[in-house]
Amino acid sequence: MNKEIYSLFKLFENMNKEMKLSEYLNKSKKIQVDKFTKKIRIAVLSSFTVNGLAETLRVKCAENKINGSTYTAEYNQYNQEIINTDSGLYKFSPDVTFLIIDSRSILGTYFYSPYSLSLSERKKFIKTKTSEIINLIMKFVKNSKSKLIISNFVIPNYSPYGIYETKTEYGLQEMISDLNTQLANYIKKESSVFLYDFNGFVSNFGENNIFNFKQFHFGDIKISLDFIPYFSHELMSYIKPILGINRKCIVLDLDNTLWGGIVGEEGFNGIKLDSTPPGNAFLEFQQNLLALNKRGIILAVNSKNNHDDGFQVIRDHPNMILREENFACFKINWEDKVSNMIEIANELNIGLDSMIFFDDDPVNREYMKKSLPEVLTIDIPNDPSEYSRILHSINDLNVLKITGEDESRGKMYAQERKRIDLQKISVDIDEFLNQLNIKIQIKKADDFTIPRISQLTLKTNQFNLTTKRYQEEDIRDFTKSKDMIVECVHVEDKFGDSGITGVYIVKKSSKEEWYLDTFLLSCRIMGREIEKGILGHMIERAKLEGIKKIKAQYIPTKKNKPCENFLLDCGFKMQDGCYVYDIENDVIKTPIHLTIKTQ
Amino acid sequence: MTSTKLYQLIADVFNINISDVNDQSSPQSIENWDSFSGYVLLDELESKFNVKFSLEEVTDVKNVADIKQHLRNHGVNLDG
Repeated sequence: MNKEIYSLFKLFENMNKEMKLSEYLNKSKKIQVDKFTKKIRIAVLSSFTVNGLAETLRVKCAENKINGSTYTAEYNQYNQEIINTDSGLYKFSPDVTFLIIDSRSILGTYFYSPYSLSLSERKKFIKTKTSEIINLIMKFVKNSKSKLIISNFVIPNYSPYGIYETKTEYGLQEMISDLNTQLANYIKKESSVFLYDFNGFVSNFGENNIFNFKQFHFGDIKISLDFIPYFSHELMSYIKPILGINRKCIVLDLDNTLWGGIVGEEGFNGIKLDSTPPGNAFLEFQQNLLALNKRGIILAVNSKNNHDDGFQVIRDHPNMILREENFACFKINWEDKVSNMIEIANELNIGLDSMIFFDDDPVNREYMKKSLPEVLTIDIPNDPSEYSRILHSINDLNVLKITGEDESRGKMYAQERKRIDLQKISVDIDEFLNQLNIKIQIKKADDFTIPRISQLTLKTNQFNLTTKRYQEEDIRDFTKSKDMIVECVHVEDKFGDSGITGVYIVKKSSKEEWYLDTFLLSCRIMGREIEKGILGHMIERAKLEGIKKIKAQYIPTKKNKPCENFLLDCGFKMQDGCYVYDIENDVIKTPIHLTIKTQ
Repeated sequence: MTSTKLYQLIADVFNINISDVNDQSSPQSIENWDSFSGYVLLDELESKFNVKFSLEEVTDVKNVADIKQHLRNHGVNLDG
């Protein structure tokens, strides 16, 4: 291998290498989607040729067990497609629409000669362009229920002013940067519109790699073919959370993963964890993990070690960044890593498909991949300085909205560990529940709670009677209807605040009958009879409104077995394939250990 | 790299059988050979043979024989 190819090869190897576009194109012809239950309709509008993008997205969807169908608008027809209400775009009725416009198209000849305009003309020009795009967004939002993801504009590295560019007031780079800022500010207020950092993508991979003059001249290709798969990877970061697919928990090994060396052999003072290499690479990795933990990603430990050796480092090592309170679960023992993993999932009450496994040992990784393919096992090179970059490239941790519950989740799981400890020392379950001192507050759906309500319908799998997924806009529509009740449940106990962790949606079918459209509980608060308290409260309310019957359904999925018998346990009876509660005759016992209040 | 390997690469890009590729193959005879799959082929050729074609060379290609000629011009041995 000659040196040039070798360095190119190394470059790709270091970037979590993607397959070539041609491989995606061939794979896209062989996708079988019949067995996938998750579906999404994806529209792509762009100002330049993005052939191959739709095919790659379909393959990536299939890899995530999603049946993705795509619509690619004719090249540079995005204006017409959005303005014309009869366009192919709206007929396709997408769930998500990507609008990708490049700086050359938006600036026209001023991309090349911005300084043919005076300072005030440049400002006016950008103002006009900004409002053109905002108008387009407004039209789209009015005409479609689809989420819209619009790319920001790439700030070119080159300027005709050369080094004087950055001294120039409102120069080319500042013009585009201003356009991006104004667009971002507008989009922050639109819940169904997102700004994709295309400029960030280009600076991550390099303008010289992404933009290939030959391909540009040849076919108006502005993202070179080799990078279409990387670009698709980024767009998948939106598609996954729209469908409620995301990972919640990173499970970590200790030796040579969180610190250098083996504590059992090298001892507390021998491990590498300080400001010199390689210790600093581990510190950097821990800093990144801590930041993820602070925004709601759960951390857990799965390590083959003497429990006390591992724990001593976490508790007492002066340089550790991650501490006991950052972890929701510890499995530091000589048990098999796969059984440990299953136990972690059980204790945290989350699915294996919500977990990521990070371990420096390739044998452990292979074993995990073979035994538990649902877990995302990350391949990492034998070099700790690569850990942080690899962590950054994971696109399975995204959520469309980070709520207050997310930010305090790390703390909540640490509280949960304390509850489990209390349960272990309690004589029986009643004593344990009584001691918890659980307070439930029923809240209406409003601007503060709607994002969390939607998030819960998208993410809750286990205690979810109907598993109906609702976007924020859907919930907002429900609250406007007189025939719907949308409420959520805030739970706290003596160990802390669990936040909004339950939702129910009722459709008032008639003056005498309600239908329970959605009833769900976050796995975080399961097993404390809170569900019975909430349902009892709802039935009381129905009684006051003169309702005679409540109908409900249990729609089985692969994951919602925990609530299979819930309705029967609460006094519902099966009638014609539907669960029915007769308010006059049936009785539900509200658990006495709960205090329930309404807003 | 032999002609067979080149044919295989072309067959892979256009998703056809290698037996359907010969020196006379062209956008007229191969249904999947449109302008976009043409760019993909160009990209594959450049990376597999480690060559860079000029715009003129690319626009000049009318069939597989032309591709072979341009590869030979770049010093690629197709007979080995």
